Amino acid sequence: MLIDIRDLYKIYNEGKESEVRALDGVTLQINKGEFVAIVGQSGSGKSTMMNVLGCLDIPTYGEYYLDGNDIGSLTDKQLARIRNREIGFIFQGYNLIQELDALENVTLPLIYRGVSVFDREDMAMEALAKVGMDDRAHHRPSEMSGGQQQRVAIARAIATSPPIIMADEPTGALDSKTGRHVLEILRGLYRSGTTILLITHDDGIAATAKRVVRLSDGKIISDKPQEVDWE
Amino acid sequence: MNLWQAFKMAFKSIAMKKTRSFLTMLGIIIGVASVVIMVSVMQGQAKKSMEYFEKMGDNKIEVQAYAYYDMNNETGQKLFDYCLSLSDLILGITPNVEINEKGTIQYGSKTLPVNDWDAIWANATPTGGGGMMISGDPYETMLRFVLGSESYGVCNNYTLAGGREFTYLEVEKTIPVCVLGSGAKEQLFGFTDPVNEIVTINGDPFQVVGWFESMDVEYNKSLDNIIVIPYTFNRSMNKNSSIQRYVIKAKDAQSTIEASTKLEAFLLGMFPLNADGWCETGSFRVGSDNSYAENAEKQNLMQSLVMGAIAGISLLVGGIGIMNIMLVTVTERTREIGIRKAIGAERSSIITQFLIESAVICSLGGLLGIGIGYVGTMIAGKLMADVFEGMILMPDPAIAIGAFLFSVVLGVIFGMYPAIKASGLQPVVALRAD
Repeated sequence: MLIDIRDLYKIYNEGKESEVRALDGVTLQINKGEFVAIVGQSGSGKSTMMNVLGCLDIPTYGEYYLDGNDIGSLTDKQLARIRNREIGFIFQGYNLIQELDALENVTLPLIYRGVSVFDREDMAMEALAKVGMDDRAHHRPSEMSGGQQQRVAIARAIATSPPIIMADEPTGALDSKTGRHVLEILRGLYRSGTTILLITHDDGIAATAKRVVRLSDGKIISDKPQEVDWE
Repeated sequence: MNLWQAFKMAFKSIAMKKTRSFLTMLGIIIGVASVVIMVSVMQGQAKKSMEYFEKMGDNKIEVQAYAYYDMNNETGQKLFDYCLSLSDLILGITPNVEINEKGTIQYGSKTLPVNDWDAIWANATPTGGGGMMISGDPYETMLRFVLGSESYGVCNNYTLAGGREFTYLEVEKTIPVCVLGSGAKEQLFGFTDPVNEIVTINGDPFQVVGWFESMDVEYNKSLDNIIVIPYTFNRSMNKNSSIQRYVIKAKDAQSTIEASTKLEAFLLGMFPLNADGWCETGSFRVGSDNSYAENAEKQNLMQSLVMGAIAGISLLVGGIGIMNIMLVTVTERTREIGIRKAIGAERSSIITQFLIESAVICSLGGLLGIGIGYVGTMIAGKLMADVFEGMILMPDPAIAIGAFLFSVVLGVIFGMYPAIKASGLQPVVALRAD
């Protein structure tokens, strides 16, 4: 089991009148190599779910085991290591650093990982090539279209070859054609063995996943596999 | 991530955000430069005024005593005799008398006017208050006769460049000898040795027995243009026959105070005050340059404090500028910190990066500030040199380094603090920031 969460809560303003239960007792297991879509309306708690699963946020209650490690017991430094090596993030807003060009953005996680200066540029270029952005290596985010920026963001996520990719509305800001291209890249990663977590509100996008988990008001309301036809 | 990487990242970030980096630096540049300039000006001025008092003489006591009924200059003799009894405290005593009559001095074919005030007045410009402003060359070159004892040089802080001062006997016996100041020697003899040469003063032959080194006081060149003659010539050369002013050279600062006190007591005995608090038989005054120097030193100290306060305030204002821009910068970069954390940056990596970034910006700003401060000091020095002749401004490296360190430390602290705060956030919180 790769991801194992048990009875997880994320509660804002607990005990106050304005209390919000973004996650309200969620239990979920995901195996290595799955392609899971987490689907829900806005406010259903799906982004909170990704943040908690991606160690970007800490749950209020509950247990989270990632590859057997109890995340709740890890230090800040160990969490940084997990974010760096185990998980690659793809955000809706790309979250590229504006001052750095594509190559530098992709190199960043490799720098934090401690990859030697001789290898990391090759690795970053390889990642850019996988998303077809190697010819734009020295463009800054402001010089690229949304789809290109998202592909750079994907390259950054996969540069360290993490076993898990978490994508939060990766196509949300893209037109349908570039959106399809991005999903194609995700399917390619899935085929090569990466576990994919795709967070979306769009059933059409969710249809690309092999398993769909539906969230509503912080609770899982359905969790079932589905047949997909990718060709 | 290693330190080299952090350095590269910091430089990258600075280079990418030139305007912001420059604004950050500006506070430091202004702060450091103003401190350097102000402190330099202040120190230059203090040095200048102290120089005057040092040259004019430490441990010098000036005594002025004047008896209303004293036809035989007995006051002077008594004062002289009394001073001899203070030999433990003093090195010498000399009358300080200037002859105001115009005269001449001649050597070989060269005849020069002495006390040629006419030339000075011809060059003087009237001031608003009805006085005259003496300036220009004649005042710097005009020769003057002064009457003195065998201790004239010692008492007035001259150093012999060649020959000797008078002897006691030469003074006593009214032997026609003279000692020249360096300016007088140059004008008459050029570079040749004047010792034992005969000059003609007002028609009478005098033997030059010695000459003094230059006093090198920038704004009182006339100190070097003296021709010292034994004071016993007073009667024949000076229509004013009574000698009133004496200069006494004490051994050290302590002796100066002691001798001054004793002289005052002695002169009070000579010129007793009546019931109304004033003297019917004469007047006197005892003063030493030490008290002037002390006053000047006090004044300098006060000036230093005021200028230091101003400099400190400008540094503080610069510091607040640094603080502000750093706080704004890092707040605006919270999102970047969030991104970096999301892709695996450890807290320490982020803090290191920001530490280096602010240290580099502040150091660059500090160095620029020192550079501008030095240039500014040179310019200020040039401007001041025109007004206050010979005033030299030199930035104090210790002050420059102090101001530099202060700004760097300030910049680093305020550059770090928000970074430390932001890096402690959950990545998701930092990512949400705009």
